[in-house]
Amino acid sequence: MRSISRRDEMSLAEPAALPVAASAAPRLHVLKRFSDRFKASLPAYLLLLPSLVFLALFTYGAIGRVFIDALYQRATPKAPVRFVGLDNISAVLADPAFTGAVVNNLVYAVGTAIPSIGLALLFALALSRTNAVSSALRAALFLPVLIPMVAASALFLFIFLPNVGLLDHYIGRLLPVLPNWLGDSDIALYAIMVITVWKNAGYYMLFFLAGLQAVPEDVMEAAHLDGAGPFMRFRHIILPELKPTFLFVIVIATLNAVTQVDHVFVMTKGGPSNSTNLVLFYIYQQAVEHYDIGKASAATLLTLAALMGLTALSFRTMANREGGP
Amino acid sequence: MLFTRRLMLGLAMAGTMAGALAVPALAEGPTEIDLFFPVPVDGKLARDMGTLIKEFNETHPAIKATAVYTGSYDDTLIKTRASIKAGKPPSAVIMSANFLLDMQIENELTNLDGLIAADGTTKEKFLGQFFPALQGNAVIDRSVYGVPFHNSTPLLYINADKAKEAGLDPSKPPQTWAELTDWAKKLTKREGDKVTQWGIAIPCAYDYCGWMMETLTMTNGGRYYNEEFGGEVYYDTPSMLGALTWWNDLVTKHKVHPPGATPGPAVSTSFISGNAAMMMLSTGSLTYVRDNAKFNYKVAFIPRNVRNAVPIGGASLIIPAGLEADKQKAAWTLIKWMTSPEKSAWWSRATGYFAPNMAAYKTPDMVDFLNKNPDAKTAVEQLDVAKPWFATYKTVPVRKNLEDEVMLVLNGKKQPKEALVAAQKAADETLKPYNAETSLKLP
Repeated sequence: MRSISRRDEMSLAEPAALPVAASAAPRLHVLKRFSDRFKASLPAYLLLLPSLVFLALFTYGAIGRVFIDALYQRATPKAPVRFVGLDNISAVLADPAFTGAVVNNLVYAVGTAIPSIGLALLFALALSRTNAVSSALRAALFLPVLIPMVAASALFLFIFLPNVGLLDHYIGRLLPVLPNWLGDSDIALYAIMVITVWKNAGYYMLFFLAGLQAVPEDVMEAAHLDGAGPFMRFRHIILPELKPTFLFVIVIATLNAVTQVDHVFVMTKGGPSNSTNLVLFYIYQQAVEHYDIGKASAATLLTLAALMGLTALSFRTMANREGGP
Repeated sequence: MLFTRRLMLGLAMAGTMAGALAVPALAEGPTEIDLFFPVPVDGKLARDMGTLIKEFNETHPAIKATAVYTGSYDDTLIKTRASIKAGKPPSAVIMSANFLLDMQIENELTNLDGLIAADGTTKEKFLGQFFPALQGNAVIDRSVYGVPFHNSTPLLYINADKAKEAGLDPSKPPQTWAELTDWAKKLTKREGDKVTQWGIAIPCAYDYCGWMMETLTMTNGGRYYNEEFGGEVYYDTPSMLGALTWWNDLVTKHKVHPPGATPGPAVSTSFISGNAAMMMLSTGSLTYVRDNAKFNYKVAFIPRNVRNAVPIGGASLIIPAGLEADKQKAAWTLIKWMTSPEKSAWWSRATGYFAPNMAAYKTPDMVDFLNKNPDAKTAVEQLDVAKPWFATYKTVPVRKNLEDEVMLVLNGKKQPKEALVAAQKAADETLKPYNAETSLKLP
């Protein structure tokens, strides 16, 4: 309903935008119309072809392969692979290591997204005016983004060394017992989360800085004249204006929480006792340690489904916003 | 999918044609081979490997070998398998000695018997060059699948200065668990509840943890796995229960061992910095300790509770399956060269691993070296009581089944007995497909 009325509005408002549709003959041969359209768009397809080839090779082909691999399994080491339908999926769902990884990943996603977005907003607000000092500070806060995750993890490995690491050296005096940051199954996941927040906050700050530029100056001034204090302006003008930025950053942060496991790989290998095992690392373990391609593919499909659902949801939210009054 | 497959075929054909065009030009050139090598311990192994391969290429103009660094032992297995799957196996790999059985089960190894016979020698004669303790991990079903390259055993490292400070005599290191516990207690320093110096540290991270559990279990009279058959492990046994309980006691009862799971590099750093007065670590770390310790140290056998016994560690050279004959031959030349007494001895001095080739210890350089560094002798002497490293179907997951539970114990989350019962159950589940095909496949 809405889309139809919208289209009417559009054609009324911009009649010049649809001259072809308006002047086209009412009854055209379907085939001819199709071939005309094809001819018209042929150059476009040709231009897209190189990308399509590579997409087919490295993206769609791989996705197709995962779908197929997820349906096959071998019963014993020497037996040939055979079709097992959804057995792999149910095996993954029944695996406590997988459900553990999902729980860890949820904790990790929430625990990294909220602090890093909060910090990013704080940094952006503090550094929104451009001058020499704020530029330098922006650069400093952005620096962690430039360090590759693997290198950062290797650095943090030393910082977190129990008893002799940098962290224990400085705050060790204050604690009654020195924790084994990466070796204690209660703490390790949080240690990993700290690195993610440290690494990503500067990145998200960029989006908020850009979002702040879009806050209309006149509205802010008007609010100022009306006697709105800094908090009122933040609550009623800046935050609503930043809503699209928030949505975007939340999606990015969630995707990062699922797709970035370099630090897990370098620092803990999912341990101790699977306490830092995240879903992507679980998939990796199934594929290369257990040598179980079927189960790895099934877990990939489940993750993919969850991510697609999330993306669709966020796109719908954004579309609703734009389509709304 | 069809579309993709055609494309792949097209690309593959184009590749083959390009290859065919290139071959005549290369026919006169040297055979190019890749060697995958891991760096599993502390130190500068990667640079030493570069030196070794450079010398090989200079002395063998017909072969051009390239050393490819592939990460840890576990990563090396993964990358080798990925290359085999991609149809481009490396020509030779320095493979963790306990992965050979798993690879053989998956048909990923070249049986070396043919290459040995082609040299006009016998298996017995060929294997006779190496320490007997190493043969268990190189021979599967009476066929040779690997050539021992660098090997290790766990050692007890003692900070001799700290021992003297505590009134202990470092020339008489602890020989039993009871003595070790006593030493560790005397070497632990506290300020209130806080420990400023740990008596002993034993590494526990994936890979190391399983090896240390095997070590402790063996010194407690037990076995980790069935040496003759890849479908059984012995986790829920009195000998392993005793081993894990003692380790746990060091942490929770005596409080002389840092809690939680500590990886190998963290343990060696702790020892070097004086934070841990003793540690159990691979002989592979000996050179690193020698180069970095600013104090007198002493190495000793792993103390026993029931008997002196240790597993070997380290790696063997293997040739993956599915290689062209010329590459296979070139790889075999490289392998024989790398495991010859001189090179074996050189590598041992560079890394701290012991040389698997017994003749290496008769070379003049090595005799000299041992006289100067008597600590390197301990590892070799311990070989008399060494036994194979655990190797089963799916070694890594089966090992992880135990390690996850051991880590829970060291973190105070589980008692040793319930942990080992859980580990046994999980491992039996992992081994089930293999048993279904072997021990439980009945007529």
